[in-house]
Amino acid sequence: MASSVSSQQDKVLVEANSSARIITLNRPKQLNAQSFQMIYRLLELFLVYEEDPIVKLVILKGKGRAFSVGGDVAALVRDMRADDWRVGANFFSQVFKLIYLIATYSKPQVSILNGIVMGGGAGISVHGRFRVATENTTFAMPEVDLGLFPDVAASYFLSRLPGFFGEYVGLTGSRLDGAEMLACGLATHFVPSAKLPMLEAALCNADSSDPVIISSIIDQYSEKPSLKEQSVYNRLDVIDGCFSQRTVEEIISALEREDVHHMDSWISATIQKLKKSSPTSLKIFLRSIREGRLQGVGQCLVREYRMVSHVLKGELSKDFFEGCRAILLDKDKNPNWEPSKLEMIDEGRVECYFSKVKHEEWEDLKLPIRVKFELPPYVIAKL
Amino acid sequence: MDRAFQRTRILTNHLLLSTPAQTACLTSNDCFNYSPPELSENYAFDVNEMRKLMDGHDVEERDRLFGLIIQSRLFNPRVRGGKVFVSPDYNQSMEQQREMTWKRIEYLLERGVFKGWMTGEGEDVEMKRFACFEVLGLFDHSISIKLGVHFFLWGGAIQFFGTKHHHDKWLRDTENYKVKGCFSMTELGHGSNVRGIETVTTYDSKTGEFVINTPCESAQKYWIGGAAKHATHTIVFSQLNINGNNEGVHALIAQIRDADGNVCPNIRIADCGHKIGLNGVDNGRIWFDNVRVPRENLLNSVADVSPDGKYLSSIKDPDQRFAAFLSPLTAGRVNIAVNAVYQSKVGLSIAIRYALTRRAFSLKPNEPEVLLLDYPSHQRRLLPLLAKIYAMSFGANYLKMLYVKRTPQSNKTIHVVSSSFKATITWSNMQILQECREACGGQGLKTENRVGHLKAEHDVQSTFEGDNNILMQQVSKALFAEYMAAQKRNKVFKGLGLEHMNKPCPVIPSQLTSTTLRCSQFQMDALCLRERELLNRFVADVSQYLAKGESKEQAFNMSYQVAEDLGKAFSDRAIFQTFVEAEATLASGSLKDVLGMVRSLYALNCLEDITYLRYGFLSVDNGVAVSREITKLCTELRPHALGLVSSFGIPDSFLSPIAFNWVDANSWSSVQH
Repeated sequence: MASSVSSQQDKVLVEANSSARIITLNRPKQLNAQSFQMIYRLLELFLVYEEDPIVKLVILKGKGRAFSVGGDVAALVRDMRADDWRVGANFFSQVFKLIYLIATYSKPQVSILNGIVMGGGAGISVHGRFRVATENTTFAMPEVDLGLFPDVAASYFLSRLPGFFGEYVGLTGSRLDGAEMLACGLATHFVPSAKLPMLEAALCNADSSDPVIISSIIDQYSEKPSLKEQSVYNRLDVIDGCFSQRTVEEIISALEREDVHHMDSWISATIQKLKKSSPTSLKIFLRSIREGRLQGVGQCLVREYRMVSHVLKGELSKDFFEGCRAILLDKDKNPNWEPSKLEMIDEGRVECYFSKVKHEEWEDLKLPIRVKFELPPYVIAKL
Repeated sequence: MDRAFQRTRILTNHLLLSTPAQTACLTSNDCFNYSPPELSENYAFDVNEMRKLMDGHDVEERDRLFGLIIQSRLFNPRVRGGKVFVSPDYNQSMEQQREMTWKRIEYLLERGVFKGWMTGEGEDVEMKRFACFEVLGLFDHSISIKLGVHFFLWGGAIQFFGTKHHHDKWLRDTENYKVKGCFSMTELGHGSNVRGIETVTTYDSKTGEFVINTPCESAQKYWIGGAAKHATHTIVFSQLNINGNNEGVHALIAQIRDADGNVCPNIRIADCGHKIGLNGVDNGRIWFDNVRVPRENLLNSVADVSPDGKYLSSIKDPDQRFAAFLSPLTAGRVNIAVNAVYQSKVGLSIAIRYALTRRAFSLKPNEPEVLLLDYPSHQRRLLPLLAKIYAMSFGANYLKMLYVKRTPQSNKTIHVVSSSFKATITWSNMQILQECREACGGQGLKTENRVGHLKAEHDVQSTFEGDNNILMQQVSKALFAEYMAAQKRNKVFKGLGLEHMNKPCPVIPSQLTSTTLRCSQFQMDALCLRERELLNRFVADVSQYLAKGESKEQAFNMSYQVAEDLGKAFSDRAIFQTFVEAEATLASGSLKDVLGMVRSLYALNCLEDITYLRYGFLSVDNGVAVSREITKLCTELRPHALGLVSSFGIPDSFLSPIAFNWVDANSWSSVQH
């Protein structure tokens, strides 16, 4: 088997294996946090592979105990001075373009999620055709902890989870294991990590872009894991009842009512979590997922790009910088959100995040033109 | 053909952004690949902004409700072509459909959707309620009617005709569905003529009870939504007979089922049976066999009966008293008009999206086939209807505002505007759905594609809450009354948008140019001219019959043709006015530019109406100029077609498989699953 490693771009490793290409995120100490450089490299690779008729399948994985914890936000905040928020915006625009490319990719992508998957890590995997979870997988969208909100078109994929599980996952940043990911549809397969080398080899020999064939190959190594008894996924009825409520305040009240009935530690922990997160983040995310449920993946990214630009610009709130300070830099885990309470944020304030940014050089996200490729039906359905 | 070569050719074509080159051997791959319109069409304006303008209010609330529907198994989600579509299973039996409608209502109740609908007050609550009805109506007509009967008719009757103790006793229980209400007005023998109903109520002062009776078969209550299966209570309309005096039609509350769903003594209920649509609503028939209800059950805001059996009313004039009883029907009419607009939006979204992806016939041999919407004839069929529904959207928003800002002084305006808009919009809805059905060809006939089925579901709109023809006659009569009042008192016209009658008659230029035709002032003049002339003519015709000794009623009956035309002229002009007002609120830019074209297309479409030639308001030459300009506008609006239907804000799940990847939705692999 011939394989070649691109050495100059050592943060992203590439193996060419007949018709398959294996991309490995290689920044294990930082849990494969995605730098500017890595995003550019991924964009470049995905573009080249799509054009290259020899390539039929792309496999994406991470080195070490994480698939990827998402964008390297700590570095971003360090690099960003108050007056050049557009550096940050530019980073996100590249990430979002990559995600759009992945979501509308004309060839199947198999992401092997053998470890931690968070935020932008989910962004570059969940939108692909196949997502393989293992017993080592931990998934979360914890952006509200940082004063950000689940972006990377999370308003598209979380809103399409069963019932109102997506609202729950995005608002609480709760962790899911591999079995839960499979149950709710975030993963398409569950393969024990011991079988991954065999799976990879089989995929490399597939020599096919047909999703039915790829799926049946992964099926051969798959197992049906059972959910843990205390899994939140067994509590969908409570989640649906509470997280379908109109506003964040009403969601919390509904949970509090449930708490009285059930005296359940999971419910009280959920309430505590919601009360600790950035109120602004919670509100804008709830609005975002509700809109995203009715929009195509491209529209979701355009909207989220507006939102993230407002967050970075920091005029409406500086929660993102405060969150990064408290969680990533000073690590005192005690952010001072401003506004500090949900009731201080009215609809008009939320609405601002969804408007165009007023700045002469800012413009709406321009999505890559996809008319050139014959898109498979599962991609067309996302537009 | 060598695959690599073929691939290179396709890639080259894509890169050059040209249409695929001619090829002698057609392969199925080349012809029938579905290409999503989103990838090839551009939006020249902000679709979100347009949607806000169209929906007008409560966009976030609408989206939440859409989400509640999409995320629940109860709303029958089905995957076609990789997308989820929600729509009731109309292949179920009538009984099953009714059961499902009820389960969906229970789900929405649990989710707090109806919170404040009866107990809340104010414009915001009412507007939000309208928005919810619009969303639910996009899912299914049955659920919106079933809710409409309970909240607007039953609940509305209690709010409008009842007094404080009725409100305290019933409104909260109505909001929580502790009671399930229906509204018994129509009888087998009397529909639009409510004053002729035959059910009789007398008062027994010994027991302090009213006694309701169905004296003959034609007096059975008919079409009562909710009565056949679920309703526990009803509003009964009957002739109130006190001490041998008929005091006219009054409303009271009667229980028809107990909490377990058993029919109460002295009540007989039968089903209306299977219908051409709306089978999720349990329409029933009710007979009352000397049913006794307590005296407090009389809804007494208009009139009351004292314990010892004396009739008391603050409104002495029986005509006015009766008119007061019809006010909940106004809310119903507003709902119907608005709902009809949204049904047309569904039809047009589907037909236009399909026309942007379906091809038929090549212009030259071996050339790719032409997109349906690139045929001028197809544009001419659909785009004027699109413009019409834009106009009617603004009309509907105006009507809602008029309703929620109602005052005793605005009652007449609300009655006239809601009657004329309800008739015009529901008629046009049927026309639009039929055109859309045909534009989708055979696909339009599949129930899952919605367009065809919606016709059957919404046919009833031209009949209930006032037959359209009768409503239009009432509009003309109201305009006649305005005219007579102005003439008699030698005063100017004020209200109903008739102020233009005070100005000199507008003159249509003898040769209409493109610029003139697209000028909103000209368009307004042309619409006012027709209204003015038809009103003058109607008054003249009626006066002539009166002079010949005919009764007023008979004179109106004889002048039906002009009356009908006048009703339409009033409505077209009033709707146009709402369009112009909405347009005026916009800053200049692409949104306003596109809307300007849409407005022109709507106006010219009105000018193509037969009345302009019948009464000679337009010369034949000008008629031709109008027609030609419509064709031009259609060509200019063609690039905006996708943007204009996307702005309706109807989620993909509420459209249908032919609006999206209909090739995949019909593929063999979809059969196997």
